Formats: sequence, C-alpha cells, structure tokens
Amino acid sequence: MDQQPIILTSGLSYHYAREVQTLDNINLRVERGSIYGFLGPNGSGKTTTLSLLLGLLNNQKGDIQIFGQHLRENREAILGRIGSLIETPSLYAHLTARENLEVYRNTYGVTKARVDEVLEIVGIADTGKKLVKKFSLGMKQRLSIALALLPNPELLILDEPSNGLDPAGIVELRALVKKLNKEHGMTILISSHLLGEIEKMVSHVGIIYKGKMLFQGPLSELHRFQQRGSRLFISTSDNKAACRLLQEYEPAISDEGLSVAFEDMRQVAAINRRLTDNQLEVYLLQPKENDLEQLFIDLTSAHA
Amino acid sequence: MKLLTALHAEMLKTKRTASFYFTILGAAPVPLIFLLNVLTGGGDVEAVHKGSLNAVFELGMERNGLVFLPLYVILLCTLLPQIEYRNNTWKQVFASPQSKGNVFLAKFLNINRLIMLFLIANLAYLSLVIVLMHFSDPSRNLLSQPFDIKSLLASSAYTYITMLALCTFQFWLGLRFRNFVVPIAIGLTLWIAGMMMSFEFKSDLVGFFPYSLQTFPFITQFHSKLTQVALTSVGYMTLFLLLGFLDFKRRRFTV
Repeated sequence: MDQQPIILTSGLSYHYAREVQTLDNINLRVERGSIYGFLGPNGSGKTTTLSLLLGLLNNQKGDIQIFGQHLRENREAILGRIGSLIETPSLYAHLTARENLEVYRNTYGVTKARVDEVLEIVGIADTGKKLVKKFSLGMKQRLSIALALLPNPELLILDEPSNGLDPAGIVELRALVKKLNKEHGMTILISSHLLGEIEKMVSHVGIIYKGKMLFQGPLSELHRFQQRGSRLFISTSDNKAACRLLQEYEPAISDEGLSVAFEDMRQVAAINRRLTDNQLEVYLLQPKENDLEQLFIDLTSAHA
Repeated sequence: MKLLTALHAEMLKTKRTASFYFTILGAAPVPLIFLLNVLTGGGDVEAVHKGSLNAVFELGMERNGLVFLPLYVILLCTLLPQIEYRNNTWKQVFASPQSKGNVFLAKFLNINRLIMLFLIANLAYLSLVIVLMHFSDPSRNLLSQPFDIKSLLASSAYTYITMLALCTFQFWLGLRFRNFVVPIAIGLTLWIAGMMMSFEFKSDLVGFFPYSLQTFPFITQFHSKLTQVALTSVGYMTLFLLLGFLDFKRRRFTV
C-alpha cells in the first residue's frame, strides 16, 4: 500500500449546538487501497464525519486532507474523484434511473456509456422508463450506488449502504464492494452500526462512539482486542471446584456456573482437559465472543 | 462552461415536472378570455376596433403582466427549489464537484428561462388570437393594420426587467424555506400589498417597493419613470441575489 493515506483528518471536531459536541478530535486515517469500515451506534457521529469529508458541513475545527490535498482549498477537484452515498437515497423521484444519472453525467465529465455501465453493475439496467418514485427502497439504494460509481471514483464513501436492502441484496453489495476494491482499485470507506455486517469485507476498522474515535486499525487488530474481552461460560458437576482449578483465569462465578476470559480456542481445549482430568463432568463449555455493544463498552472503559 | 453544465443539470431536473406545463398553460388564460370576449361581442371588441393590432397586444400583455405573470413567478420561484427539498437531494448536489455559486446561479437562470418562455408563449397565444379574430370577422382587417414590433419588444423587455426584483426576492424565499407554503404566503401578501400601493393608495413609495415595480409598464402616468424603475429593479435583483447567495452558502441543507 502507498504510504500516503487517502484520507487523513487531524483534530476534527464539530458541534451542531454549542452545548453538545458531536465530534471530538477525530483523527481518521484511511489507507489507499483499503476497505475501511467506519463503525458506531446510531448517533455516534458517523454521518457527521462523512458529511465533513464531503464538504457538506463546514469544517469548524481541525484539518481534512484527501488525496494529499486540503479539502477547504481544493473542494471541487477532490469531489470530482469521490463517489458518495450519504444515508437515504438522494434521487429525483419524477425521473427515470438513467435520467437521474444524466443530471450528474456532465458535472463529472463522463460518457453516456459509463451511465449504462454503472446501471449494469448495480443490476438495474432494465428499468427503462419506470420512474424512481415507483422503485422499491432496495432499487433506490442500488441506483444511489450507481450514482456514487458514476465518476469511476478513486474513493467511494458509502454511509450505511445496506439500509433497505434484503439479505440477498446485502450479500450482493458485499460482493460488489470487494470487487470494486480488488478489480478497480477503489478505496472504500463504508459506515455501519453492525460489525457483523461489514467485518466480512473490510480490511481496516474505525470505531466511533459518542463523537470520539475509540479504535482504529486493521481488522486483525480489532479481532485481537475483541478476543481479549471474550468469555468462556462453563457449567460443571462442581462449579466451586472448577473455580478453584481455574483460578489463574480469574473466574467469575454466577448462579448458572462460571465464566473465564480466554484468548483462543486452544485455551478452551486446555480448560476442558483440566476439568475432565480432575474428574469434573462438563455440562457446558460455551465460548462467547464480544459483540459490538460489549466491545463499545470495553473500548469506552479502556479509554476512560 | 461549468455554469452551463450546472444549468443543463437544472433543466434536466425540471423535466417531467409541472413547471413546463404550468408555464405553457399559465400564459394561456388571458389570450383565451380575450378571444372569448371578442367572439361573444364583449367589451374588448370596442378596444380592438379603436386601437388596432397593437392594442390587442397591449391589452393582452397588460392583463397578463398585472396578474397572471406575478402569480406565475411567485409560484415558479417557490416550486422549483422545492425539487431538491422534496427529493432530499441537496446533499448529492453539494457532494458533486460544482461550486455553490454555480448551483445558485443555475437555479436562478433556469427560473428566468421559464419566465421568458412564459412571455413568449403569451405573445404566441395573442398572435393566434389575432389570426382567429381576423377569420371570425375579416371586416376588422386586423392583419393588414400597422404593427409596431419595436414597441412590443420594448414593452416585453420592461415587463421582464421590472419583474426581476419580485422574482429574485421570491427565489431567495423559495430556497430559504423547506415548507413551500411559507414563501407562497409571503409572496402573495407582498404582491397584494404592492398592487394596493400602486392602484389604491397611489403611494410615493411605489417606485421603491419590489412587489410594485412590475405594475409600471402598464400604468400610463408612470411611463415617464419606467427607465428609472427598471434600473431600480435590476438594483434590487443584484442586492437580493447577493444576500440570497450569502444565505444559501451559509445554510446547512444536509444531515
């Protein structure tokens, strides 16, 4: 990968109302050629961050560099190289799919053939004269993605693109994102509030919570962090004895049994072996990885 | 070039909206009423006989310019910017590589394109009415009467220019409010106030009130001030465009 990140923000802060800080010191770093998953629960500041990156909101504090250029001074040149989809579909309901793309075709300086191409890519080339107001939400979302792809962008910014898509549509979207990254070399910044939804396609992850970046790095690093917070739930014929045997794992005892922290599956096997070697009957051995909600809590407490 | 691209995009956006039909149909009522009046022997027959071919155009333009054109402009300036609000498309517009200045000006130019179309349609309908009147009663000899095209063009130009103050202010209001009822209500109230200032109160301030200026080309005693009023209208247009753009640039249309 290129050393120069495609997006680099430093000290980015923003507030809609003076008393509420929506973003606080966001230092985003998106590497060229990566698929960056921008994660956070609803209201955490994802859309505000992406809106700042696209110049939809005026930058109040901090700096934004995209393609190595400052956004404030090079807004138009930068936007010409970015495709975007922010939240809900942004389409003219009284026009057809093709006409919606035609509205922006000259602005991006692309050929008519590109319009056909992107309609083909998202699978709505056969909608003909059907007006967008008669489209399903899924079709509108596909057309929004086609619009984002129209300039054949180097950087694609997708804000919750799976909204309104059915399960098959989500799988297709995932495949499309991977294909655009791999075959067309697009860097993709994709936001979501569901880790499970994007972890199958992203190479890097940034987690934002209440306007603050809690984590940023490769997906493998997040998995390591996630693993550290994972617990193994155990129930045996003698839970108190099991607790004594597993003292080094700092067990927590409850009515149903006990739980211990674990790092990998080999540890689970070792724990099982120790229990059975000591003549304890194992009724339950359930590894439970951190879900995103728990991860947020862990990351929040880690940053407190 | 970029402004032309933005204007082209604006024209595409108005495709299949009511604005085109609204323009074509909005220019029709006055010529139609005029025709029916003449065919049924109403009051306009005398005017036609007295004033010849030029009188038909003058009468038609006056009736259109005093009522239908201002109402059309108020509605058009409000409804066209609503395309973006209604479709939630402002964010896509601003995320595309074009300046806010070009977007703003392209929208204004598109509105003016339709206003000119309205004026041309009005003249075309009046021409058709004259032809029909000629065939309904050839003794009027309408088609062989002198026709002062220079005066007609000057009158059309004044009608358009004196309308610019109202148009620009209304355009600003249309962009300013998400709820289209507000700019329409403000526009209609100001227009009625402007008409009352011109015809009821005969106020001295009539030459400075943006919603009165469009009455000047049609009031004979004001004709001496027409050039001054046209300049005032252009001045207001410049001022409202500037203020409107500053407001447009500052406002948050997204998230």
